[in-house]
Amino acid sequence: MLDADVEVDRREFTVRAALQVAPGERLALFGPSGAGKTTLLEVIAGLVLPRRGHIELGGQVLTSTAPPVRAVPPWQRRVGLLRQDPGLFPHLSVRDNLCYAPSASPSEAELSSLASLLGIDSLLAAMPARLSGGQAHRVALGRLLLAHCDTLLLDEPYTGLDASLRRTLTHLVASLVAERSVPAILVTHELIDAQAFADRLAVLDRGDLLQVGAPDEVVLRPASRRVAELVGYLGFIPSGQTVAGVHPERVIPGAFGDRGLVLSGVVRACRPAGAGWEADLSVGDAAVTCRLPDKPPASGGEFAVTVLDPPYFGSDGSAVGSASAKDGEARTEQVRRL
Amino acid sequence: MSWAASPAAAAGGAVRGDEPPGPRRPTGRGRFAGGSLRVRSVSAFVSVAGTGIIWVALLGPVIALLGHLSWHAITTSLTAPGALDPLVISVESGLVTLAVLFGVCTPLAWMLARGKLPFPRVWETGVLCSLLLPPLVIGLLLVFMVGPYTPIGSLLADLHQSATNTFLALVIAEVYESAPYYILGAQSAFASVEPRLEQQAGLLGDRPRRVFRRVTLPLAAPGLAMSLSIAWARAMGAFGAVIIIAYNPMGIPLQIYTTLQETGLASALPYALVLLVVALPLPLAAYIWSARAGRRRRG
Repeated sequence: MLDADVEVDRREFTVRAALQVAPGERLALFGPSGAGKTTLLEVIAGLVLPRRGHIELGGQVLTSTAPPVRAVPPWQRRVGLLRQDPGLFPHLSVRDNLCYAPSASPSEAELSSLASLLGIDSLLAAMPARLSGGQAHRVALGRLLLAHCDTLLLDEPYTGLDASLRRTLTHLVASLVAERSVPAILVTHELIDAQAFADRLAVLDRGDLLQVGAPDEVVLRPASRRVAELVGYLGFIPSGQTVAGVHPERVIPGAFGDRGLVLSGVVRACRPAGAGWEADLSVGDAAVTCRLPDKPPASGGEFAVTVLDPPYFGSDGSAVGSASAKDGEARTEQVRRL
Repeated sequence: MSWAASPAAAAGGAVRGDEPPGPRRPTGRGRFAGGSLRVRSVSAFVSVAGTGIIWVALLGPVIALLGHLSWHAITTSLTAPGALDPLVISVESGLVTLAVLFGVCTPLAWMLARGKLPFPRVWETGVLCSLLLPPLVIGLLLVFMVGPYTPIGSLLADLHQSATNTFLALVIAEVYESAPYYILGAQSAFASVEPRLEQQAGLLGDRPRRVFRRVTLPLAAPGLAMSLSIAWARAMGAFGAVIIIAYNPMGIPLQIYTTLQETGLASALPYALVLLVVALPLPLAAYIWSARAGRRRRG
């Protein structure tokens, strides 16, 4: 169990977060760049000292600012940190990099089975300068695994790798975390990576933990308008005292009042997006972006869409829960009048 | 588990970083042996010719030396009784100087490179001061510092040592003349080691001292070797400070000077040749070793 409750001062704001990650659990820490995600990992790894905090890993206190004060140095923490830069030692071969940790004394069989699992078995004699980005990441991951760390911290490790490699590495890490039963935290600013990896998603913005929950729940039921903006809601339609959040991928063409909020607007622009279309609609004063399977009518045309079960936010930005069917109809009427 | 996503990469395909593609690192025809320079245009020819002229110009004194040496002068000078004693003194004091520099100045260079010292500019200015002072002035000031009538001098006298006209004095003079060159070179060698790598080694379970031994030192080693070889060259040729506080025991530079004064240029020149021949192998070995380390890292 990794249990961290810390406050760290940064130049512009203070990072405040309390996280618990169970053995074998995968937590994704999601947020925009500069939200304090990396700082949080560095505090857990012991590279940054918190102003106030308590960190426990597997029952051992690593950091405590309250008496008895404790700050275990990084080399005694058994925390594995994988960054975007794999940090392979350029003067050592892949094999020596894998076996670098003093706690790593793998048998030849263990080494070769891990190497073949990671797909680097033909590279053991190579020098890191010869590796591609993906290979270097696999070696760095193998090095952490052979070090038998008690927790895995992954700091945007997949940035710069192609989509299929990211998927493969994500699945590999997920299965290894489950097999070794260690807590793992992935830091990322890509929602899709966070969802692919995590059992639980935590949203961090300007140092504050805004929401922690299941990966689908956080996206479908954001706790606040800020969370909604971070997880990809692009339109906010006033609806009485509240505001409805519109996620571009939660919009279907046509008016289906029983499935959500029906909007009628004017098409301002549309463009191809992936295998479908992305359209900008004007609904009253508000603008909405939505993804559609078919091309909408030309610019200026009237067009009705249904936002599937949207979240609603109060004037203070916090969620006020989804509309009941009856409420939904009332809201639909209001919006139509807009 | 399938890794079909990157079969080309698994075969050792993509190469990252060190070797930029394009005409700057060509292979094949037109290569100079051992190098990678291809003459393809007038401007390339001019730059190669210019480089060659500069190289020959730098070698001018050596060429002049070889031109003015006669076999007879060499044998007469070098077979005189005790003629090679200065050579032994120079090599011994040079090696002791290197050991002192490596042991004492390496930690300072590391701390300067890692910004571990408060007011780093003050420390760096100190190093630069000793670099900027002419060696002769350093020698004069060393008399004030370690001469027989100073506190350090009397302390040494209590230990039956002296820092004037002794082997110790020679080493002190050589250390002062060569230390700033080593410190500045070593500082930049350490600065080129990424702190992230040291951090990663720590997270993998290495204590700081072990990180230094297993990561920092090996990665900085080629740069340290180059800095040591520059310091060696300075120590072997040290003259200004040496002539003031360590006239005896006599190393090769002083031997050249006294021979010149006593018997003339012809008998002094062979010692210059000896200095070159003896001093060259160490820096040359450092060059070769650094290049090999670089090649090994590139795989």
